[in-house]
This record gives sequence, structure tokens and C-alpha cells, in this order.
Amino acid sequence: MLQCIFLLSDSGEVILEKQLTGHRVDRSICAWYWEHAMAQADTFKIELYQHLPAPVIASPTHYLFQIVRDNITFLACTQVEMPPLMAIEFLCRVADVLSDYLAGLNEDLIKDNFVIVYELLDEMIDNGFPLTTEPNILREMIAPPSIVGKMLSVVTGNSSNMSNTLPGATASCVPWRTTDLKHASNEVYVDLVEEMDAIINREGALVKCEIYGQVEVNSQLSGFPDLTLSFGNPSILNDVQFHPCVRFRPWESNQNLSFVPPDGQFKLMSYRIKKLKNTPIYVKPQLSSDAGTCRINVLVGIRNDPGKTIDSIEVQFQLPPCILSADLTSNHGTVNILANKTCCWSIGKIPKDKAPSLSGSMKLETGLERLHVSPIFQVSFKIMGVALSGLQIDNLDIKNLPARPYKGFRAVTRAGKYEVRS
Amino acid sequence: MAPPYQRSPSPSQPSGKGEVSDVKSQLRQLAGSRAPGTDDSKRDLFKKVLSYMTVGIDVSSVFSDMVMCSATSDIVLKKMCYLYVGNYAKYNPDLALLTINFLQRDCKDEDPMIRGLALRSLCTLRVPNLVEYLVGPLGSGLKDKSGYVRMVASIGVVKLYHISASTCVDADFPAMLKHLMLHDQDAQVVANCLFSLQEIWTLEANTSEEASSEREALLSKPVIYYFLNRIKDFNEWAQCIILEMVSKYVPPDSNEIFDIMNLLEDRLQHANGAIVLATIKLFLQLTLDMTDVHQQVYERIKAPLLTQVSLGSPEQSFAVLSHLHLLVMRAPMLFSTAYKHFYCHYNEPFYVKKLKLEMLTAVANESNTYEIVTELCEYAANVDIPMARESIRAVGKIALQQYDVNAIVDRLLQFLEMEKDHVTAETLVLVKDLLRKYPQWSHDCIAVVGNISSKNIQEPKAKAALIWMLGEYAQDMQDAPYVLESLVEKWEDECSAEVRLHLLTSVMKCFFRRPPETQQVLRAVLAAGIADFHQDVHDRALFYYRLLQHNVSVAEGVVNPPKQAVSVFADTQSSEIKDRIFDEFNSLSVVYKKPSYMFTDKEYRGPFAFSEEFGNMSIGVESEETAASSQRVEASDKELLLNTSEKEDKVLSNNGPAYSAPAYDGYLDTAASQVQSDLVSLEPPLPSHPPKTSSGIDLLSLGLSIKPTPAPTAPTLKLNAKPVLDPNTFQQKWRQLQVSVSQEISISPQGVAALANLQSLLRHMQGHSIQCIASGGQSPNYKFFFFAQKSEESSLFLVECIINSLTCKAQLKIKADDESSSQAFSTVFQSALSSYGTS
Repeated sequence: MLQCIFLLSDSGEVILEKQLTGHRVDRSICAWYWEHAMAQADTFKIELYQHLPAPVIASPTHYLFQIVRDNITFLACTQVEMPPLMAIEFLCRVADVLSDYLAGLNEDLIKDNFVIVYELLDEMIDNGFPLTTEPNILREMIAPPSIVGKMLSVVTGNSSNMSNTLPGATASCVPWRTTDLKHASNEVYVDLVEEMDAIINREGALVKCEIYGQVEVNSQLSGFPDLTLSFGNPSILNDVQFHPCVRFRPWESNQNLSFVPPDGQFKLMSYRIKKLKNTPIYVKPQLSSDAGTCRINVLVGIRNDPGKTIDSIEVQFQLPPCILSADLTSNHGTVNILANKTCCWSIGKIPKDKAPSLSGSMKLETGLERLHVSPIFQVSFKIMGVALSGLQIDNLDIKNLPARPYKGFRAVTRAGKYEVRS
Repeated sequence: MAPPYQRSPSPSQPSGKGEVSDVKSQLRQLAGSRAPGTDDSKRDLFKKVLSYMTVGIDVSSVFSDMVMCSATSDIVLKKMCYLYVGNYAKYNPDLALLTINFLQRDCKDEDPMIRGLALRSLCTLRVPNLVEYLVGPLGSGLKDKSGYVRMVASIGVVKLYHISASTCVDADFPAMLKHLMLHDQDAQVVANCLFSLQEIWTLEANTSEEASSEREALLSKPVIYYFLNRIKDFNEWAQCIILEMVSKYVPPDSNEIFDIMNLLEDRLQHANGAIVLATIKLFLQLTLDMTDVHQQVYERIKAPLLTQVSLGSPEQSFAVLSHLHLLVMRAPMLFSTAYKHFYCHYNEPFYVKKLKLEMLTAVANESNTYEIVTELCEYAANVDIPMARESIRAVGKIALQQYDVNAIVDRLLQFLEMEKDHVTAETLVLVKDLLRKYPQWSHDCIAVVGNISSKNIQEPKAKAALIWMLGEYAQDMQDAPYVLESLVEKWEDECSAEVRLHLLTSVMKCFFRRPPETQQVLRAVLAAGIADFHQDVHDRALFYYRLLQHNVSVAEGVVNPPKQAVSVFADTQSSEIKDRIFDEFNSLSVVYKKPSYMFTDKEYRGPFAFSEEFGNMSIGVESEETAASSQRVEASDKELLLNTSEKEDKVLSNNGPAYSAPAYDGYLDTAASQVQSDLVSLEPPLPSHPPKTSSGIDLLSLGLSIKPTPAPTAPTLKLNAKPVLDPNTFQQKWRQLQVSVSQEISISPQGVAALANLQSLLRHMQGHSIQCIASGGQSPNYKFFFFAQKSEESSLFLVECIINSLTCKAQLKIKADDESSSQAFSTVFQSALSSYGTS
């Protein structure tokens, strides 16, 4: 079981330390870890991000688990055998809860609110054994440092962020929900959020295309409602993962999601749909190099109109190290070359009258005739109102609720790891 | 947080002293104040103290003031105070007594939250003297009407157990936990009880029959079913613990196996990857003897595993991929159609990409090789150089495991035309391996390799590969002798011994094939080789030289025999080890690709078993070994050789619980070198030798320049030469006894230098009738537990000795049955220790 959790800043400084057992873990382990991480980045001479040490490593005295979120390293130590994924999942959950509570995650936020962080960790793990990580329950025990709370404390002089009641859920048979919830307006929102991962080769053919989706629910319902969500075409789902509230039998027999929701925002289900045949847009890069210069031309356009506007289109690529200078222009949108040699072309929406294109020339290192490496173009976009996988929500049935609730449905598709090779 | 730790003190971080005393005086002012708003100013101050503590400044000096201020009804203040007290109590046991009062009062508060928090802090004080105050609140905590308090109390019991096992057992807490576990309404309480009981009974099982039968009883059918039937009531982490426990249960018949699997099938769909993996482990274990069902399980777990790989964060993917790799080794067909899941994305961290490449290599078969290799070739052109290298290696591995390598060889040769140094280097190494397995491809390969200019190749491995090919295919490569000649001319600049060795051999081979052209070079290379500083190079050159002198045709037979193609390259891991790792599915073993006995201490192998004082140490087998070796040293000289070989066996077969550090790489090397150093060091010290007599003999040691340590006062204490104590008794005694002598002494630099060989220190101490029972640590910190016994009485001395090799200081803590003689013993011990390394 875990013996200690450290939070490290992006310069390796210990922001926070939480000892979990009687076996105190000395802070020097952090210095060891940081040197290890730096040495690794050094040997590869590449940005730290891509060459972080593996999430599970052995130091001379402890086994270390670490995850990095928003440049904060969450480091946990143990000396006993334990399921590695359990430690990593737990750290992920800690990071999620903290960034939820603090409305973001950075060194200053943690330092300003470290009492809350300690309180949270206290409830999340005891003696190295994870307890509650359910955000809804935690929120009942420890109120987030909201602006309202700060206002109240100024007015009333009472700035306790502790709620006075213990979470009722610990006694209820549905651990994710308290028994006596009351909302003035009963509302429930269901969002389909999809991310498209794709690899497109230099001939423009799809090497791989998959969609990872989530059904996100925001429930503001009183009492003890029982919901059933059905899909029009559940057969397209390749694999699914459920929130603990979902009952398995109804899903097995007729693919209905039957559940008593937690209060507030939560992830009801994640799913995976593979072997998609179409992408909404195309990106065609062309590179040709000769006599020390490389000419580049990138065309972007709509391939399969999804029926809604494709927004926030952006194409990004890393200039190879052997390029000395680049002169790039576009007929639409803006082109920026960042300090780390990333070229970022923000297009936004595709105009009706022309196809956006980026062109220009890049000067190669002296002595180099041709460009030997081929940059990879990472594409991002967002389409509101459409789930590109074609998954359809058929119906949401709510039982056990006195008043008629308001039901809202939305869908959005974003580019995930969407890359085009050149 | 006590040790001040500042890597890079930034200006924003206060240096400490001034601020702390400032806070101290402010706290003092507030302590008695009842004015309105006091709580707010207290809160600010507490926050300040805690932030100092968090930064690493030692604020233990305000302990008493903090406690004085803790009389408050404000729960946040209380929490901050608990946090502070929990942190410093262990090091201020006397002051901690001050807090007991208010904590005990809070344990009776009306608010269950306060009761719970107070109880939790009370248990985290971890001060042995205060356990008596813990028993009462814990007992009532276990019976509290609030689930929250019972939940805290059930974990509190195991904390108490670690402070004082006997108190915990005497108060009958395990039995109370068991009752709660089987009857409590609150699932979290039940889970915590299970967690605590597992830990307590596992540790107790060593000494108590009853505990070990209780531990067995946890795995009985009623208990297992009790947990399984209500598994959905538990939170996700408790479910992991339960699934892990169930995987140790052996169902009597197959119906039961199906029942369990049906019941748990939906756990495979859980959003928490840890649960999914725990379930998979359980399913695989259950069906191990049912081949058909086992296959079905593989099919069933495929989709959830692939989802886990892609859906989670890179860190989660990493952990899942490690397990996938293990599975694919056992069932290669399983993922052969899903290979696209292992295609690497540009943005993924390297550790994920590396595992994905391993997966791609493992799933490659006749049907998908073409596509996989095409994909890998994309990565070879990657901007990221380590990635490009790894993918070329992956192509090579696939080539070596396939029968139809036609297309792959073409691809590899295309790499050579990419004119990128790192690509060329990696490819050359692979082409060499490929030729050893498929000599029939030599014609195509050599044509391309011949075009490569040796000037562009800098990496030793690649250079060696090229030279090997030049020698092996000298007859096919037009200018082989001349390329070799140009390489030999730069002999002086070549810093890699491996390259020089290959150069020697290749020139020899070339000579036998094209003698007239190579004769000159051969002469040059042998001369250079014989003059070389590197022992291996020198020896090989001399060997070739004499061989040629002796008989040229014999030399040809030795250097250039007809070779058979290599059919299978030695696999790095035996199938036995793979099976062992498989048994440890869902554990760290999988990530390290080593079964746990190869990297964890024996102590830690139990689920959560570690004992308080021996946290970092290895006892058990190792202590037997030292005890055995102590007897061995006393054995007569004649037997010494025999015994050492025995010891060698022993060290290797024990697989090193002696190493508390996780030596997961090159592990066997260390074991071997340890054995060697043992062989060397066994000679000098004989037990009867007084340490000082030999101090002048060793003329070579640097010790002469330093004055020998002043002779200690003549020890009057006589010690038993062969005391007997088993580790458990030692532990018990260590817990019971008070520290009678505690001091810091200096060790001579020679002694510290000789610490590199721990065994010799232990033997040295045995020479002084002081036995080591456990040792561990890594440079610069070593920790030892010694014991000794008076010669006439049975009274024992126990010593904890922490040596820091940087500061040349040793911290001693001596506990004795008979405290009156502990000072005398301390003198004996110090003189023994300080004479180490000088003798």
C-alpha cells in the first residue's frame, strides 16, 4: 500500500507532502526522482514531456508511481507489492479531484489552498488504503473554496469550509448519492462527447480511425430518481465502461442504461467505436526539398460534410531540428511559429469561397541538401451538435420523481489524436 | 516533513528561524485570548505554521504553543492542529502527551466528524509510550453509532498494531474487527476491517497458530461469498482488495467457478482500470486448469483491455500495456487482429510508445507482418531519435522471428539509404544479426552495405557490426581489405575495445580469404593489438599471433570455421520466469518483467506485510545465512574452500532477499560479484584474532599514513562467542526494551571504505562476538542490527547501528537486558567497530 504522496512543482520542488503510514519516507526520494527524470531527458536531448520516466520505477529504496498533470508531478512511494494500476488510478483520481476543487491545477493554487488539499487527502486515503474518491461525497464533507464561500466569510466572519453534516451517502445503499437531495428546478442534461483519433498516411489513406466517446450527465434531480437511457443504435459500440451506478443486467439484455444518478456532473459511460471509414476534413501536406531549401504546401478542406459547422480547426507541426528558418504564409487564418519550433496554423472555420492553404519555404541547415525527416501534422477541430460515430440517444426515461424534469441533450465531436503524415 | 529539505531555496521561501520565533510569540499571545475574531487570526497563524512545515522548515519548536491554541470549536482549526501534531508527535513524545488530553476529549464530541478526525489523529501520533491512551477511544470508536467513526477506528486498529502489536492483540481488537467485518451495515467499515485484518493476521501468522488459521478462514467459502454477494456496495478500491482476496480462493468445483465469473462479469465494464485488471486476474486464475474456458476468458477480456489502453491517461496505458505484453506472450494470437491499437501516436510519451512497439513485435505473424512493418518504417523517419532507433530494432526483431523475411530485408536496406547516421547505425547491427540467421540473404545485403562509407559510422556497436560483415564476406566485397586497412590506420583513435576486437578477428578472416591483399594489414593489426592497453585486445592479438606462428591452417580452422545459421537467438526470459510473473498478474512484477522474488524483499512479499523496526531491512533467510557463515568461519581452515562453494550456491539459490534495494537490472551480476567478494574476503579474519595485532601487517593499505585509533579502555566485559537469537525474538525484545545507550561515534575512513563489502564487516564483528541479525541500506546509509550475549549469563545486548559513509559517523542505539553493563558493552562495540578496516 502507498506510504507517501508528494506533489512536485515543474522545477522539482516539493509543494506538498502527505505521509500515510508510520514508515516516514524521506523527502530525498523526490530529489532522487527529479535527478532521474532530468538525466533521462538529458540523454535523449528532447523535451521533458515526451521522455518522462515510466510511471512505475524503482528507486534504491522505494517503488515510485508518478503521474504528471498540468506540470505538477504526483509522486507516490511504496515498499510493498501492490497492483500498479491501482496506485496510478488513485493518483489520477487525486489529480482530478484537486483540479475540480481548485478550479485548475498549478503550484500557486495548491500552495494557496494546501489546507484543503490536506483535508481532501485525509479523506481519500488512510494508512495507504484508498477510501472515498467519489467527488460528490467529498464535496459534502469538504466544501470547495468557492467565491461564494469567500464572500460569506467576509460577511459573516465564519470561514469554515467544513460542512457540518456527515455525508449521508456513507449510510445509504447507493454510496454515490445522498438520500435527501432537493433541487428547486429539476433538470438533467445528457452530453455525448466524442473524440476522433485518426492516423492518415501520406497518400491520404486512413491507417486507423477510432472514436472514443463519453456520455456525460449533469443531474440536478431531487429525491431518489431512477433513470433509463436508451440508444437508437447501440450495436455500433465496440466496448463500454460504466460508472458504478449503472446496472449491468438491463444493459446485457437490451442495451439500456438503467441507473440512479449521483448528483451533479459525472461520466455515465465511456465507449469505443472502431474502424470508422470517414473523416470530416482533409489535410494534404506536400513537402519537396532541393538544394538546401524545403518547399511546403498544406491544403485543408471538408471531406465529408457532417451537417454542422466545423469549428476551431488548427493544424500544428514540429519543425525538424535541421531547419534554420521558415517563411510560412497562409491565405486564411494565422500562422505562428512558437519558441520550441512548433508551427501553429489556426484556421477556425473553413470559408465558403476558398480552400485554406499554407505555403512557404524553409531553409535547411548548411550542408544538408534534402529534408530526411517528415513532420507529422496534428489536426484539431470541434463540431458542435454532432456525434460523428452516429450514436443516437433514443430516449431518457425518468421514474420516481414528483415533478416533471427538464431534459436536455447535446453532442459534440472533437479531434483527439488526429494526425496526418507527410 | 521534519528534515529541512531545500533543493533550490528560492527567495520566496523564508529561511526559517526568524519567522518561526515570530509565529511562536504570536501564538502565545492568542492562546489565552477569548476576544471575538481570535479564531480567524489563529487560523491565519496555523496556516502559516503549516505552510512552513510543508516547505520543509522545522517548526517543531512551536509544538507546545500550537497545543495551547488548540482549544477551539472551529473544525478547520482542529484539522490543521491535528495535521501538525500528527507530523511532529513522533519526534516529541513528551510534548505529544500534551495533546492526548484534547484529542481524547474530541473523541467524545457530539459531532461524529470531530470524533472521527480526533480518533484518526490520535492513531497517527505513533508514539509508543502513549498507546495506553489509545485503547479506550479505539474500543469505543469501533462501537460508535456513526459509520464514519467506525470506519476510522477500524483502520486505527492496524495503526495501533504497528505501534504496539501486543497491546493491539491483548485488547482483543482483531476479534472485534472480525465481528464488525461480518456484521456491520456500512460497506466502508467492512472493507476497512478486511484491510486491517489481512495485514494484522499476515504479520501475526509468523508467531501465532491462531492468527494463521484466522487468515486461512478469511479464504473460506462463507466469507468469500459474503463479500462477493455484496461487492457492488463497496467502493472501487475496496472492490480491488476483495477481488485480490478472491483470487487466492480455490473453488472446489467448476460450477462454483462459473458462478463467480457470472457474478463478476460486469466488473470488466467498470470505469476503474484497477478493478478491470483485478477481475481479469481472477478470471485467468480460476480457469487455469480449464483450457477451453481459459481461451474464452482471453476472448472476453480482449475488448476491455484494449479500451483501457486507449481510453485512459498515458500512465494508465503504460500499466495496462505491461500486462498486455505478458498476456500476448502466452496467447500470441489473441491480439494479432487488433494490432492497430498499438500504433503509436505522435504525442504519446516515449514509455508508452516503447511498450507499444514491443506489442507490435509480439503480435506480428504471417498475416499482419506487412502492415506492421510498414507502420514501423514510418516511425524510423521520426524526428524523435530514440523512437526511430526503437522502431528499427522492432523491425529487426520481427525479421528474426518470421519465416518470410523477403519484404523486411528490403525495408531494412532502404533504411541504409536514408543517410541518417542513427538509422544507419541501428540498421547495420540488425543486418548483421539477420545475416547470422539467414545467410542466404548475404548477396543482397552485402551489395548495399558495401556502399556505406565507414567514415560516417561512429557508434561502436554499428562499427563492430560493419567490421564483422567486412570480415565474414570479404570475398564478396571488393574493397574489404582496403576498408579494413583504413580502419586499422586509425587504431589509435578507436576508443571502443569491442570495435578493436572485431577488427582483429575480421582482418584475420579476411587474410584467410584474400591473403595477398591482407598480409600488410594483418601485420599492422597484430602489432597494434599486441601493443594495446586493453587486456582482452592484447590477449587476443597475442593468441592470433602465436596461432599463426604455430600453424596457419589450424588458425584458419579456429578463426574461420564453417558456420551454421543461428536458428533461434537466446530468449532473454525463460518460460518458467514468464509463468512466475503470470502468477503475479496485476502486481509490480509485471511492470518490471521480473517475478517479485527477484526484486522485492522477502519481508514485503506478503500482501501488505512489513514490520515497524525492520521497515528497510532484510531479515529471515539472510540472518540464517550470516549465522551459518559465522559458524563457518569458526570451522577449521581446511573446510574453508568447501564452505565457500556451498555459500555460493546458497546465495544464488536464495535469489537475494539480502538485497533490500530493488536490483531489478543486472541483478545476477551483483549476486555474482557479491559471491566473488565473499571468496576473497573469507581469508583474513579469524575469530580468535584480536583486532590490533594484525593492524601493522597490511603494508599495502593506505592505513599506514593514518594513526591507528587510540586503544580503547580494556574491556572488562566477556561475551559469549556463539550467542543464539532468532529474528522474531529479536524484534520482540527490541520493542520491549528501552534504549540504554544512544550515541554517535566516528569511524575511520578505512573502515568506511571497507564498508563496500558488508559481509566482511559482519565477519569482523563476529570476530568480536557480536552477531549481525539484519543489515541493509545503500550507500551512503547503512543500517545494521547486531546482538551479543554475556558469556556467563543469558542477558542480551541489542544494537541498532546506522552508518553514514559520507560523514563517517555511526549512530548507535543499544538496548540491554541488564542495563548496568550496557556502558561496558558499548565500549566493546565501539572498539570493535572502530578497529574495522584497520585490521
